[in-house]
Parts: sequence; C-alpha cells; structure tokens
Amino acid sequence: MMNSTQRNAAVLQDRFALKTASYLSAGTAELPRDISERLRAARAQAVSQRKIAKTQTVSHVVQAGGSAALTWGNDEGLSWWGRIGAVLPLIALVVGLLAINSFQSDNRAQEIAEVDSALLTDELPPAAFADPGFIQFLKINRQAAAVQ
Amino acid sequence: MATELELSDFLKSVEKRAFKRSIYHVRDEEAALDIVQDSMMKLAQHYGDKPAAELPMLFQRILSNTTLDWFRRRKTRNALFSNMSEFSAAGDDGDFDLLETLESLTNSEGTESSQDATERAQTLHEIELEIMELPDRQREAFLMRYWEEMDVAETAAAMGCSEGSVKTHCSRAVHALSKALSAKGIKL
Repeated sequence: MMNSTQRNAAVLQDRFALKTASYLSAGTAELPRDISERLRAARAQAVSQRKIAKTQTVSHVVQAGGSAALTWGNDEGLSWWGRIGAVLPLIALVVGLLAINSFQSDNRAQEIAEVDSALLTDELPPAAFADPGFIQFLKINRQAAAVQ
Repeated sequence: MATELELSDFLKSVEKRAFKRSIYHVRDEEAALDIVQDSMMKLAQHYGDKPAAELPMLFQRILSNTTLDWFRRRKTRNALFSNMSEFSAAGDDGDFDLLETLESLTNSEGTESSQDATERAQTLHEIELEIMELPDRQREAFLMRYWEEMDVAETAAAMGCSEGSVKTHCSRAVHALSKALSAKGIKL
C-alpha cells in the first residue's frame, strides 16, 4: 500500500513525465521536410512489401496447383504421415463396425441353432406348434393359470 | 487482419515518434532512419496479416529489437557499457525537489508569443539532450511509458522485463531528467 507521500510523489512524477512528453510530441511535428519525405518513402516501401509477399504466395499456389483436387484445408506442412494419421481413426471405425456386425451375426445364428436343437430334441414334436388346436390348448392353459 | 490502408495509417501515426526515439537511442540521423525503415519492413513483411489492434505493441517490440540489433552490429563499447550506470545507487538525489521543476506548469498554458516559441524550442532541445544522456533502459522505459502512452504492463511486455523494473526505470529517468533540467534552470 502506498501512503499519501508516496502517492503524491507518483502523481508529481507522472505530471512531470507527461509534461516532458508533451514537449517531445511538439518536437515531432517540426521534423525537417527531407526526413518526413524519407519516412514517407520508407512507409510506402514497407506497405508495398506486404503486397509483394501476398502476390508471391498466390503465384506459388498457381505453380503448384496443376490440377484441381479436394484437400484437407491447407496442405502446407501436412505430410503423408499427417494424412495417414487423419485417415487412421476412420479406418479403425469401419473395421470395428464390421467386427461388431460379424460378432452379432454369429451370436444370432448360435441362438437360432440352440432353439432349433431344443425344439428337435424336445418331447413335443415341432409340427405341434403348427397345429391350431394345440395353440388353442396353450392359450386356455395360460388363462386358467392367470385366474388361479 | 489489418488492411493495407490500416497498416499505412498506423505507420504514418508512429513513424515520426519512432524516428525521434531512435535518434535519442543511437544519436545518428541516418542510423535512426535505417532502424525505422527496417522496423516498418519487418512489421509489414512478418505481421502484416495481424489485426490492426496488435500492430502498436508489435511495432514497439520490433523497434526496440532493431535498435538493439544496431547496437550489436556496431559493437560500440559505449553502448555496451552504458547500462552499467543503471547499477548506481538511486538514492543519491536527496536534495532535489520534483515539485520545483513543475512549479510553473500552469503558467505555460495560453497564447504563445514568438519569444515563447523560441524558449519552447530551446527547452525541447535541452530535454532531448538530457533524454539522450539517460541510460538505455531508463530512456526506453520512459519513452514507451509516457511518450507512447503505454501502460506499465505493456511497457514491461515490450521491453521483456518485469513491471517492477519498468516502474524503477521510469522513476529513475524522471528524477534524473528533473534534476538535470533544474540544474540548467529549466522549469516545465
């Protein structure tokens, strides 16, 4: 924390510095004409350099681009390894989906086989399930069980 | 991204102060012009695509570095050892009063006669001489902080030092200037 004496000193310091700076600012307005002209030329040259830098970039693209192609944004700095790295997750996703599909198919075939084998090895013949009378018998039994 | 016009306007607004600042550092008109030109080119070539708001800070930093490069190239012994004076004790100016040099602050307002203008030019000349006499870091901190009107944090960032160092440099610079100008009988 600053005490009042330090604060006053800081204010005086700032006032003095700003007053000095105001003299300096007034001085810049009175630069010799030749200096002003050289500064103006330097500024124009700097601004034109910015232009040339842009033009060079464009011509480079034109030279490099013999054919049109879809790219992953800016190709500069993107090596083949980078491209492979970008595609790798997609490949992993496709392989994963195929594996899951195959696994599910196997599971389903297994379940159907189990049901079939259970039906075939059961005392009740499979043809009984196609009989309308037997279906009716099952329904009546179920309702009776529900009532009880 | 700054447009070409924005870049040009920005450079126009800072070029004269940059030139004067460089002169205070290197004391050579031709070298100062070279430094300002180099700084402008570097800004345009490397940072021309930056937003206009970032240009002032970038330019101050480039100007400082380019000035430093100039000193390195010249390998001027004086320039290399001028920083040594910063290590001298700061408390050796006990008998001077900052308020004394500011006492006629309000009197300088108002209309200015030709005599006033001459006096003002003379005062400016003396101020410039004394600024050139300041150690490099003090001068740099003082000019950025008060002339370029950068705050302490911005000055510290541009100079690559701590905010405390900036405050110390500024304080020492103000005291040195005030003392020197008082000794010459100049009151701001």
